[in-house]
Amino acid sequence: MNLTQQVINGLVLGHAYALIAIGWTLLLGVARLVNFGHGQMYMVGAFVTWWAVAKAGMPYALAVPVAMAVGALFGLVMQRMMLKATFEQNLVSIMIMTLGFGYVMHGAAALVFGSTGQILETSLSLYEVNMGDLWFTGQDAAIVVAAIVLFVGLKWVLDGTRIGRLVRMVAEDPKLAQLAGVNVRRVYYGVFSFEGAAVAFAAGMVAPRTPILTSMGFEEVIMTFVVVVFGGIGSVKGSYFAGVALGLFTALFGALVSPAYTTAAAFLVLIALLVLRPGGLTSGAAGAH
Amino acid sequence: MTHTKLRNILLPLVGVGVLAAPSMLGGTGSIYSAAVLIAIFAVMAYGLDVIVSDLGEVSLAHTVFFAAGCYTTALLSTRAGFDGWGTLAGTIVVALGLALLIGLVTLRLREFVFSLVTYAVGVVAVTLASNWQFLGGSDGLRGIPPLDMSFAGITLTASNDQELWPFAFALLTITVYLIDRFRHSRLGAAAIMTHLNPRLATMGGTDPARVRLQVFLFSAPISAAAGWLYAYQRAYVSADVLENYFLILMLTAVVLMGRRQLLGPLAAVALILAQEKFFSLGGYVDKIILGSVLVLILGFFPQGLMGLAKPLLGLFRGNRRPVSQPSISSFGDIK
Repeated sequence: MNLTQQVINGLVLGHAYALIAIGWTLLLGVARLVNFGHGQMYMVGAFVTWWAVAKAGMPYALAVPVAMAVGALFGLVMQRMMLKATFEQNLVSIMIMTLGFGYVMHGAAALVFGSTGQILETSLSLYEVNMGDLWFTGQDAAIVVAAIVLFVGLKWVLDGTRIGRLVRMVAEDPKLAQLAGVNVRRVYYGVFSFEGAAVAFAAGMVAPRTPILTSMGFEEVIMTFVVVVFGGIGSVKGSYFAGVALGLFTALFGALVSPAYTTAAAFLVLIALLVLRPGGLTSGAAGAH
Repeated sequence: MTHTKLRNILLPLVGVGVLAAPSMLGGTGSIYSAAVLIAIFAVMAYGLDVIVSDLGEVSLAHTVFFAAGCYTTALLSTRAGFDGWGTLAGTIVVALGLALLIGLVTLRLREFVFSLVTYAVGVVAVTLASNWQFLGGSDGLRGIPPLDMSFAGITLTASNDQELWPFAFALLTITVYLIDRFRHSRLGAAAIMTHLNPRLATMGGTDPARVRLQVFLFSAPISAAAGWLYAYQRAYVSADVLENYFLILMLTAVVLMGRRQLLGPLAAVALILAQEKFFSLGGYVDKIILGSVLVLILGFFPQGLMGLAKPLLGLFRGNRRPVSQPSISSFGDIK
């Protein structure tokens, strides 16, 4: 086993995890919402990107924005259905509804795209960089760059712009923010459409690495959860570093122990953290930066 | 006539009607198959019902308890030659062990963190069931013998759905009785109090963590018992018993008629399975229907179908109850 190669794999995987988790980080930090349909949104994003490239003949650079637009639309529809529950902070209903949405998306994707697995090839994924025994693809490099740009951009928007200030106000106290004149409804819509667009973007970037199947998505939810909790709920910077750490752990565990049990291993580490610091995790729930 | 007396008369009548229903509906193999599955899945949903409706948490690990019942039954019957009583006892012990483990780990977790951890438990369980050869790996476990619960010289066996129906009905009846007793017990009251106001519960001398664990221990064997009978109904078990379908079915069953309705999960499962078995539009469309029902009910009718019917019933009753007087059914819209 080439340890350096595994570290490269882990860094790429870690940036992929961080990219997949970024929408959820904001969603949880701002609206205290969870989206169990996140994995299925990822799956739909991957399929739409594949469809746009392979069936509609679009260039990859256009296919990804198309997938993002579809993802944002899904996010808006979901938020519209959950608006009442969101304002009531009825988490039980929200969690169950997002599971329902995920199930609908699973059935609809299988109906539209078929149950056969698909491969998405891009010019970046076919371009290989070799350095002695080490190698990675252009797609791997693009994932790392995209994740860093997106995280830096989100951090800047949240900390340094008016939109970010409004989002942070809603995260702090939605009722008082509304009294202060913030259109909370619009912020919620914005956050959920960002979640949809971000996960579709992540799918468009990461999907060329793996076969695209309607059954995928469950592992992505768990990894996203691990990233968000490890990073400190709602922390953008924390999520980035947690994603990278999880990627390294997954790659090394897969290479050294067993690739079949990597998700289980990541989850057990998470459980250990939850048992050791049960209060510390939830206490950091507020604040989206 | 008081509400309780009316209920005590109506419930046995409903029971007799349900027992005779498959025969009255034609008594074909597909009718008995649907009836057995409705009973099994309703029992599975009742296990989750007390967690969602009474404790106010969303456990996504109940498919694991259901699967634990399936796998325990398959292992004990095929490898150790246990009969139905032995596999049922084993199922309950395993479910209690798992519930204790998950319950202790998640004892201080609430809301979405609790749900996410239980969801992760489900995903890990799928990984284990699909890869661990002890559990049959991706092939699963085959050759489960017919259900045999004979005792004291009385032969009680079932090798097809028609013969399984009385067992499924008995399991359903016992479950409904247990749920009803739970809701009239001190633990049931403590669960509601812990759900609505944990601080107040603590002031009243209730330990919320202890209550949560006890309710978890009460609910897990119920869902597992459904898995026990499901293993006999299918005669084989594989990782597909952990599919999301069962989770969505359970959740829809809990919310469709409205929470804390004693016969709600049964009626909801009957409606869903009737659509899937007799009015199916194909597996994928059925998925879309089931998921959409779940979303639409919670999005627009959070009190369920019974919540819609309540104003109509009020017209017949003449709205004798004052508006300000709380009723136990008003827990249906609690968060």
